[in-house]
Amino acid sequence: MEEISLKAQELFQIGGFSVTNSLFLTLLASIVLVSFAVLIRRKITIVPGKLQSFAEMGIEGLLDLMDSTLGSREKAERYFPLIATIFIFIMTSNLLGIFPGVGSLMAERGHHEIPLLRSPAADLNFTLAFAVVSVIVTNILGMAAVGVFAHIGKFINFKDPISFFIGILELISEVAKIISLSFRLFGNVFAGEVLLTIIFSLVPYIVPLPFLFLEVFVGMIQAFIFAMITLVSISLHTATHGH
Amino acid sequence: MENALIEQLGINWKLFVSQMVNFFILLGVLTFFVYKPLIKVIKNRNEKIKEGLEKAKEAEIRLSEVDNISKEKIKKAEQESIQIIKATETKAKELEAVLQKKAEDRQKDLMAQVEQNYKKQQEEAKQMVLKDAGELVKKAIIKTVELNPDQIDEALVKKAISELKNS
Repeated sequence: MEEISLKAQELFQIGGFSVTNSLFLTLLASIVLVSFAVLIRRKITIVPGKLQSFAEMGIEGLLDLMDSTLGSREKAERYFPLIATIFIFIMTSNLLGIFPGVGSLMAERGHHEIPLLRSPAADLNFTLAFAVVSVIVTNILGMAAVGVFAHIGKFINFKDPISFFIGILELISEVAKIISLSFRLFGNVFAGEVLLTIIFSLVPYIVPLPFLFLEVFVGMIQAFIFAMITLVSISLHTATHGH
Repeated sequence: MENALIEQLGINWKLFVSQMVNFFILLGVLTFFVYKPLIKVIKNRNEKIKEGLEKAKEAEIRLSEVDNISKEKIKKAEQESIQIIKATETKAKELEAVLQKKAEDRQKDLMAQVEQNYKKQQEEAKQMVLKDAGELVKKAIIKTVELNPDQIDEALVKKAISELKNS
């Protein structure tokens, strides 16, 4: 059985920048998504084809969901790119992470072999980056929606001790959100990867199938949870008084 | 200790930043190539569908209006036709009466004319008969005279004398 590493392993270096196996799969996922994007863009017509219909169905579904959370179609359309990209990117990365070859294709590195590809979300840099982006962007959108001072006033409030204390708690909750978002995704995907590695090493045929389906499900659910938490956060930060 | 934890978890600020940059690039690409064009297409299609439905509704309303108008016009035309028929019938009756009167007058005129002609012809015939009778009498007298005028004169004288005696 291969060695299970908590951190992504370095494959090679480009000018002092180390490219890890998870970054490598992240780039592959990006290439896949960009290819799909270009393919869809080239085939966009008023009467949709199969691919466009599928994309439109996804967009409509997500927009409806966002509409019900944000309470306005206009707001849903405004914040749609961020939520959709978070969901699609994490889901694609998670699904690519259970593709055959990920974890089993090995690359020579020094005296030992390391996996050529590793699920992006099984690297804390990936999940942490997404969590930080989610929290920072939601706060920026909050500032844009309710005003800079009104938004900062939620965290730093000297009106009375209770408001001040609540503000401090809000500030802590934002930091905690980064940790919870990043570690939830990392934990689920990493655990799945470890589980699959163990199962594959114990019984390589048929038995891992249910676990693969479970990982497909977990991969999609985790992407959905991440996107939904970001959406709810946007909804809370951009809500003006009376909404 | 913090550094050891970060090292153990594999957190690397360069990788962290590269993942962020990667995400924003992908966000831009997907927004530009997929979300905006597709949302625009969906909006256009929805607008067209909405417009089509509105037009269909409008057409339905107009159709019903046209139907009502046509029904009203048919009703009006029926009423007008009934009125025209009635007026025509009245006119026909009036005309019939006028024509009948004219015919009667004409008949009377013709009868009068025929009567007049008849009388005229009768008169002419009478005249002709008289003329012919005169001629005949004249011829008869001439014939008679030519046969024995003295005897006739004598007979006539005798007849005249007897009549004078009787008177």
